[in-house]
Amino acid sequence: MSTASLGLDVPNGYDDHQTTSREAQRKADRWMLPGAILMTTAVLGPIGFPLFLKGMVEQRKALLQGLSVRPMICTLLGYLVIMDSGLNSIGWSLDLVAHHSLVSRTLVTAWGNMFDSGYFWHYNELWIGGAGAPGEKSWEIALVPTVFCMRLAAAIGFLQMKRWGHQWLIVTCWFGVIYWVGYVANMTLFADLRYTHVVFPVWGWWIYDIFYITPFLAIPYLHTVNREVFTD
Amino acid sequence: MSISAKRLPPGTTEPNARLHRWLQRGLFVCLTALALEGTFTFPGLLVWYGFPDLSLVEMCSELEKVRYSDDSRECVFPYPFFAPSEGAGQKTAQDRWGVQPQPRYKRIGFRELVKIRDERLARQAAAKLSAASESH
Repeated sequence: MSTASLGLDVPNGYDDHQTTSREAQRKADRWMLPGAILMTTAVLGPIGFPLFLKGMVEQRKALLQGLSVRPMICTLLGYLVIMDSGLNSIGWSLDLVAHHSLVSRTLVTAWGNMFDSGYFWHYNELWIGGAGAPGEKSWEIALVPTVFCMRLAAAIGFLQMKRWGHQWLIVTCWFGVIYWVGYVANMTLFADLRYTHVVFPVWGWWIYDIFYITPFLAIPYLHTVNREVFTD
Repeated sequence: MSISAKRLPPGTTEPNARLHRWLQRGLFVCLTALALEGTFTFPGLLVWYGFPDLSLVEMCSELEKVRYSDDSRECVFPYPFFAPSEGAGQKTAQDRWGVQPQPRYKRIGFRELVKIRDERLARQAAAKLSAASESH
């Protein structure tokens, strides 16, 4: 119970610091969260990017002022997981359920033509529609409704510095290692189909997609962080 | 507690400080890159594949013509909700079949769809003109 709630007009440095810190964190998140979500839609990315940068500036300002806000590494990790899951989900959901929309038939197939023919070769020919590359649909069905949803939820809990957020981020980051290894193996086995006459073939795919290696950066942190900083 | 330990962010212990510092740098690079990719991928694709010289529907049609090696393909938009997949049963796409199929369509260069379309329209106009002159 704070001195303010007792009706006493006594300055309380700790309570003030906590209140100011909480407000500073909320202020930063109010910019970063919509920014990150808009960027995961890809199409609205140009609106989301400046919002996100503004939030980062607010977060850094609060840290420099010595306020008790989330450590920068947790902020980066949480939002990176949100963007990783969101960008993967939007692309794969478009292909899975909206393959005959104009956006899919222009931008998804154009992306396929540029980086990975799995999204161009015989597109919209299977009865289920969308990508026709062997194995691709199975990954979409397996990952979008399970792993990426769980990762999004875990990232939100993690950004709130909740213990369950930390635990579920560990679980879903290990899922991430499995899908990276499985996906790259599948893609490599069908490389002739996927990289013949692509604008930026194998090296292009790697330059574009290497930044989704979030799980490999998150796991060492999640296993070495002092878990006492997360609350129930 | 040493002076350096006091400056560590919450959750980071001294033995892991260096690891966490490098991970933070890696996370920052990845986050910035994903932010830029999320922002610029679709606008970049639009420019490469001919927008605004081609509308979205025209771009869709041109991509279909390349994909199925068939100049008569047109992008149906809006696509009927319960219709079969647009490419179902097509017989025109060119592949080299073996252990793995290899597509035979050509790589599409920067704004090449605009050029391909212009050339096709010119060819079709010329053919129409010569057909008209032959009939007179």
